[in-house]
Amino acid sequence: MLFNSIDFAVFLPLVFILYWFVFKNNTNRQNLFLTLSSYVFYGWWDWRFLSLILFSTIVDYTIGIGLLKSEKQKNRKLLLWISILVNLGFLGFFKYYNFFVDNFIHAFSFFGSDIKANSLHLILPVGISFYTFQTLSYTIDVYRRKLEPTKNFFAFSSFVGFFPQLVAGPIERATHLLPQFYKKRRFNYAFAVDGMRQILWGLFKKVVIADNCAEFANEIFNHSADMNGSTLLLGALFFTFQIYGDFSGYSDIAIGTSRLFGFDLKRNFAFPYFSRDIAEFWRRWHISLSTWFRDYLYIPLGGSKGSMFKKVRNVFIIFLVSGFWHGANWTFVLWGAVNAFYFVPLLLYKKNRNHIDVVAKNRIFPKLKELGQMTLTFSLTTLAWIIFRAENVGHALEYIQGVFSSSVMSMPHFHNSPKANSTILLIVFMMWIEWIGRQDDHALNTLLIKKKRLVRWSFYSFIVFLMGMFMATEESPFIYFQF
Amino acid sequence: MAFYITLLFVWGQYAPPFLKPNIAYIIGAKGHMYSRINEVQQVQNVDILFLGSSHAYRGFDSRIFTRAGYSSFNLGSSSQTPIQTHILLDRYLKKIHPKLIIYEVYPEVFCIDGVESSLDLISNDKNDIHSAKMVLELNHPKVYNTYLFALVNELFNINEGFKEPKVKHNDTYISGGYVERKMSHYIKEASKSDEWKFKKKQLTRFDIVVEGINRKNIPIVFVNAPIVPSLYHSYSNNDEFDQLISGKGKYLNFNNLLALDDSLHFYDHHHLNQSGVAIFNKRLIEILENDGSLSGIK
Repeated sequence: MLFNSIDFAVFLPLVFILYWFVFKNNTNRQNLFLTLSSYVFYGWWDWRFLSLILFSTIVDYTIGIGLLKSEKQKNRKLLLWISILVNLGFLGFFKYYNFFVDNFIHAFSFFGSDIKANSLHLILPVGISFYTFQTLSYTIDVYRRKLEPTKNFFAFSSFVGFFPQLVAGPIERATHLLPQFYKKRRFNYAFAVDGMRQILWGLFKKVVIADNCAEFANEIFNHSADMNGSTLLLGALFFTFQIYGDFSGYSDIAIGTSRLFGFDLKRNFAFPYFSRDIAEFWRRWHISLSTWFRDYLYIPLGGSKGSMFKKVRNVFIIFLVSGFWHGANWTFVLWGAVNAFYFVPLLLYKKNRNHIDVVAKNRIFPKLKELGQMTLTFSLTTLAWIIFRAENVGHALEYIQGVFSSSVMSMPHFHNSPKANSTILLIVFMMWIEWIGRQDDHALNTLLIKKKRLVRWSFYSFIVFLMGMFMATEESPFIYFQF
Repeated sequence: MAFYITLLFVWGQYAPPFLKPNIAYIIGAKGHMYSRINEVQQVQNVDILFLGSSHAYRGFDSRIFTRAGYSSFNLGSSSQTPIQTHILLDRYLKKIHPKLIIYEVYPEVFCIDGVESSLDLISNDKNDIHSAKMVLELNHPKVYNTYLFALVNELFNINEGFKEPKVKHNDTYISGGYVERKMSHYIKEASKSDEWKFKKKQLTRFDIVVEGINRKNIPIVFVNAPIVPSLYHSYSNNDEFDQLISGKGKYLNFNNLLALDDSLHFYDHHHLNQSGVAIFNKRLIEILENDGSLSGIK
């Protein structure tokens, strides 16, 4: 079920009403109801893959109990490895099997050997990369004794399958989310209203910004060989805002929806396009994934401790793995590598933690230097997004070559440019609102909060109006569903 | 909601077109739907009623049928899908009371959602419970906005003084619903191989429309109007469509019945020019007279 669909518009109020009015006095029943609702939400897409979620839930729940009872380090390690192998096994099979088979054949044919192996027609189960990482975090944290394993199966199944963040995150840590399923929930009006505001902004970013940008980005990327440099540059910019609107929009809707049910999810985006360097960008983009890799991969590898070689190696490992997590394509690996190249100089010169706080804090405008830093970071990010979006590495290189050709000085030319103008105006509107709200949790968190209700509601209605007036007419799935 | 409708109305009236992509309220748009709807209010008891897409209102010339001795009215509209045909028949069939319906069936209208045609209908005809049902069925932002905008326009009689010119660009509206295109010739272009992908909801609605007409005991003839041969043959599943329609009643596919020339008889890749229309209509009348479909109608 898509957040931006009529189905979800019916599903959400129904679940909300039953959750708060029918099951309100019993936390276990609420959890069971949330699990079933989440399975309906997921099964709407393809019910067959519910078995994977259920299997993963049972395996990690049982392993958690096993870790509780087992004191011997050898046994505990064995249980941890079973969990890792099961979870990454599913992920590897569905997501990477064909990639490895195809590359294996390709590599051998390069040396003259004719290997016969068949690719499988596999459907990638939506959200597998997200819920796999979430359940892994549970087992690893229990293994590390950072978390008491749960004996409450319904709480655990709700934690794994919680529908707002099941298919595209934020990837929650068990230490943060699981305890919330044990507590008795009380409806908090202010918390829920803020959730509604976040849902509204998320929907705006998805249906207006991302889906409209997608139309142009797709057209330009799909016909890049026929486009001049300036059009290619515009296509890259459209994709830059598409992926931001799409993914941060999804995260806003997910976090806002969770708030309606009394849950507090981790922040996933913190206005990344206002970052002053790449290190800051990666502290603000897909935060739940970056911190997952930091805690479960980067730090165990030694993090930023040790020799310079080790530091650089660790940076490359985390970026390459992170790139590969996004999909079974060399473009994602290259995208990861490019980001590692961006990051390494900051690490070497110890400047990777220069910009911890928000830009232009308590000021309306940034300083000229900050503006320059933001522009440079944004440009580097846009360049990397070209690789991320391209069909293959060759396409990415040709595209980048086109952007840096002399035709970048000519006028852009593509289909339906009047609509592109309105889309650019909407992007400016979005960035303006986000700039105003950059010190808060989300763009509408405190915007106009001290104004009269009429002013606030008029503004929210105006956003609804903009959605009605400019929403793309083709319903499109979220980009991160494919990861 | 009130805020939304108010803003929609003001925005729809004054914003430049590029800032209102999801309002497509065009009164008197191409195809002369406004004039056709105006005229149909006065029409009663005709011999033949034509239904269908632009192939109908640009393909069945009421003057040729009049000369052959048959009164007719053309209720075709741009990209008219069975969803819109259903509404038009609900509104006007009883009053028009035809002796025969010629229903032009172009495979493409069974493959689209029907948004374009619904916008044409919402903008140029009255909006009633049938339109509301159509809007909900299509569930499309452009259709919702245009419908709300049209309702406010109707409420305040904004278009009261509107008169659609008979001649617009290269099109002339002919009494009886036909639109004549100024004579021009198609310059042949290559067509890519393709396949018709029919939508279940349009096929279901088509069945409902046909059943409704059958219940009223009005004979129907389904006509697939000619398109440029190279375009027609670029579709691999024309036979599937022929089978589908011929199962519903008498069906004439003029892509197989007439040998027309791309350039001499068409003005674009799927519309006949006036020479083509004359040949097509004469042949149609001839076939229908020969097989008795027109007997007792004059």
